[in-house]
Amino acid sequence: MSDQVDFIIRNIPNLLVGFPGQRPGGLLLSVVLAISGIGLGFCVALAVGSATTSRWRVLRTVASGYIWLFRGVPLILLLLIVHNIFSTGKIGVETSSFQSALIALVLYSSAYQASIVAAGLRAVPAILVEDARLLGASARKAWQTVQLPYGLRVMRPALVSQAISLFKDTSVVVVLGVADLTTTARIALGSDIENAPYWVATYLTVGFLYFLVATALSQLATPASGPEQVGKSGLVSSLGTTI
Amino acid sequence: MFDWLTAEAVEALAKGVGFTLGLTLVTTVSSMVLGLAIGAARMNSARRFQIPARSFIEVFRNVPALIQIIFWAFAVPNLFSASRRRTIFFDNPLIDLLGDLTTLAIPYYGAAACLGLTLNSSAYIAELFRAGVGTIPIEQLDASRSLGASRRVAFRSVVLPGGVRAAFPAISTRLIHNMKNTALASFVAVPELFHEIEGSINATFRATEFLMLGAVLYLGLSALMSLVLDRADATLHRGQRSRRYGVGHV
Repeated sequence: MSDQVDFIIRNIPNLLVGFPGQRPGGLLLSVVLAISGIGLGFCVALAVGSATTSRWRVLRTVASGYIWLFRGVPLILLLLIVHNIFSTGKIGVETSSFQSALIALVLYSSAYQASIVAAGLRAVPAILVEDARLLGASARKAWQTVQLPYGLRVMRPALVSQAISLFKDTSVVVVLGVADLTTTARIALGSDIENAPYWVATYLTVGFLYFLVATALSQLATPASGPEQVGKSGLVSSLGTTI
Repeated sequence: MFDWLTAEAVEALAKGVGFTLGLTLVTTVSSMVLGLAIGAARMNSARRFQIPARSFIEVFRNVPALIQIIFWAFAVPNLFSASRRRTIFFDNPLIDLLGDLTTLAIPYYGAAACLGLTLNSSAYIAELFRAGVGTIPIEQLDASRSLGASRRVAFRSVVLPGGVRAAFPAISTRLIHNMKNTALASFVAVPELFHEIEGSINATFRATEFLMLGAVLYLGLSALMSLVLDRADATLHRGQRSRRYGVGHV
């Protein structure tokens, strides 16, 4: 028992920030991958999601094709495909494993986020947009000042759970050998039969670290029930009923 | 043009698709059953049901599926001494039977992958079911109770169908996600589609071709699954309108 504790204590710094000389790695790298995947993914998702509500059929088709394509393939396969295309210099660039992983995560998460954006924009009552247009706003101005702010509020819970989901999905980058938390655990255990007794303790620790960050994210994202939240939901629901 | 697609590769990929479908079927059924049961326990007013259900959902939803699969397959057997490990996990009549049924070389790893995927999906389904039940008009429940239905009957005839019907679109998304997650079973040597794609690449060094073919096959499986789930959704909604009007008149 005590040697298990020793093994975990010895490896905790590696699991948290990576092996010396390969930092940042471990949990820190998982968080970095998740945040950049979600952030960049959201920018792409805004464009793709808005394109699904476009007037032009071509844009709509391309956007829904994008969503269908990157949501229909397992992330682990997408990682290998992206790495195969971008790391071999076939199209003039040579990415590292980390860069390939990031590109794949952005494609994957943007497809999920785009379908959330599309649904959120569709949930905006048409009359609000029409009112803005009647008052002289251009289509873009109406999108900017009415559709998007209203839609974002509707999208928020779904975007948060998508973000948590992507954080956990970063564990799959182990397939490219990117030194995230899962990879670090695998390297720490190695193929040494001597380490067999430490597997349970190590994976319980790794699972707990993922659990901790995921739970913290969902707690941070759930606004405490206070007057501000009541006011907000009251606004949304009153808009809903008057229209 | 298709010279890379040898007969061996076709056979391996066909076998892989078979295992992916098998894993998907088993984990879909088990996570629906377990998920609805956990969801029902979570909504029970008794704390002795509520607290375990809540912990189950929090734990198995917030730990990545990959970690859960590796944990059950590779970590748990290490809790036992070498000889006992053998008899418990790899060499007993039950495991042999499972091996005969599935043709898996190491049946325990297949079972462990199913366990990990089921626990993960059922935790999600439990929460989605609970959200679905939340949309059932309270009058429906009151009506069934005042017509003399016991709590058990009310649950079976109002809460369960109403909750599943409302949550089904979200549950479908989750089940398709679960199908894609079966690719993670390749980490524990289950010869499903992704594992066979990797195997074919190692045998032929034609990475691009096999990766693209893999993407096409997974897209096909996703499309097939959403078709089946759409059918199921339509079946769930059959006759729903008349029933809703009926309740309105009560």
